[in-house]
Amino acid sequence: MDLTPASRDSMRLPVPLRLLIGSFVAAFLINLMPWRGLALQVYPDFVLLILLYWAIQEPRSVGQGLGFLLGLLMDVADSALLGQHALIYVVVIFFAQLLRVRVLQQSLPAQALHVGVLLALAQLISVGLNLSMGRELSGFWLIFSPLLSAILWPAISVFLALPRLRLRPGQIIS
Amino acid sequence: MSAFQENFFTRGPSPLARLTFFSLVAIAIMIADHRFQALAFLRLGVSVVLTPVEQTLMLPGKLIQSLGLYFSDQNRLIAENATLNAKVMELTAGHQQAQLIRAERTYLTTLSEANKRLGDRGVLAEIIRDARNPFVRKVVINKGSSHGLRAGLVVIDAVGVVGQLTAIGIMTSEITLSTEKNQSVPVLALRSGLRAIAVGNGRDGSIDVPFIPLAADIQVGDALVTSGIDGTYPAGLSVAIVASVDRNPAFQFARISATPASGTEQHRFVKVLTQEELKEYPQPDVKAEEGKLGRERTGPKRREVR
Repeated sequence: MDLTPASRDSMRLPVPLRLLIGSFVAAFLINLMPWRGLALQVYPDFVLLILLYWAIQEPRSVGQGLGFLLGLLMDVADSALLGQHALIYVVVIFFAQLLRVRVLQQSLPAQALHVGVLLALAQLISVGLNLSMGRELSGFWLIFSPLLSAILWPAISVFLALPRLRLRPGQIIS
Repeated sequence: MSAFQENFFTRGPSPLARLTFFSLVAIAIMIADHRFQALAFLRLGVSVVLTPVEQTLMLPGKLIQSLGLYFSDQNRLIAENATLNAKVMELTAGHQQAQLIRAERTYLTTLSEANKRLGDRGVLAEIIRDARNPFVRKVVINKGSSHGLRAGLVVIDAVGVVGQLTAIGIMTSEITLSTEKNQSVPVLALRSGLRAIAVGNGRDGSIDVPFIPLAADIQVGDALVTSGIDGTYPAGLSVAIVASVDRNPAFQFARISATPASGTEQHRFVKVLTQEELKEYPQPDVKAEEGKLGRERTGPKRREVR
């Protein structure tokens, strides 16, 4: 079931480790900000967004294992049921691994659409898990979170590609 | 330095295998956490690392707030001071009366060895943030196990019950508000003495009171206070005011909803009751029973009791 060809990756320069770690730390810090009220319902899960980005761009370095660990971290931070974010991240990264070749061939807006669907799936799992534990749905605003994330996707893609452009002038980042 | 892996072709397990493995582990963790509350130590460990980071992230907001306060007009402060002074006078009078009553009660309880209520023991704490999770009704306070708190303690504000401590960190802990879904508090209607259970329904500003018969003596406006029969909540704390009573004869029970007495969503300072005297309540010997009966707690045990 491994649909990720290795040939494309071997031709590209590896991403610097500090960019990888830096982006995750930044995303985590944004997620840790004291969100409340409406913002709490609609804010995009930055950690998941960055995870998706690297799972698509750097499948050798970022995969389900990292997603699992970061998910556990987010569970504690969000006082959610332990393992909930972990499950969501792992499932979404799995689909990202299946779709990554396809996604990489698209333009940025089309990529955003793909990502939006994946994040909607994540939100669906989250809502499903919480409902199955007998919790109330806190409102339909929740659907705006994947939408916002999808809108942010092009910006994040460009932003995270910039340091690598500097790395090798003239290279076109897909 | 690069994140590029040395091994070029060996890819390890396939994505599907990984997905299966990690999902199973995640589900196992969820079950362990939900059913058995077995992973508190993991939570504690991670929160030790997270807390300082979170505190730092809240600094900008606090700075803006304190800057705003600095420039706030003096009139407001003077007015506030006046109301506070009035409040102090009021409380002093109340306190003196309370001392008398407490003395009487101590005498009576030494006579009867019965129902002890809360003393003055408690830890004042500040709410630092809401839980970042739209599905739960929880808030985080700035006191933790280093201040002697432990899971299960009751939290009140100036008006009534706020909730219960559920997760304890070293410097912070989580309060599950009494409006959280299925968070239940044993209560007593002050006017009629009717005993009931107040159960949160997961929505802000509303608490359900289930399993009250249609003919029961309960009205809109009845104050519900803790009855103290569970040994967790001390008796006499205000919990909610009955807001609506729907006696539909089609159902066996009346549909009663109440408004939480404490400003469960707005307050900033709360008091955690460190109620030592409640240890004297008879505790059910759950472990011994489980040892005897395994998982089944119904059937044979019931008959024994009768």
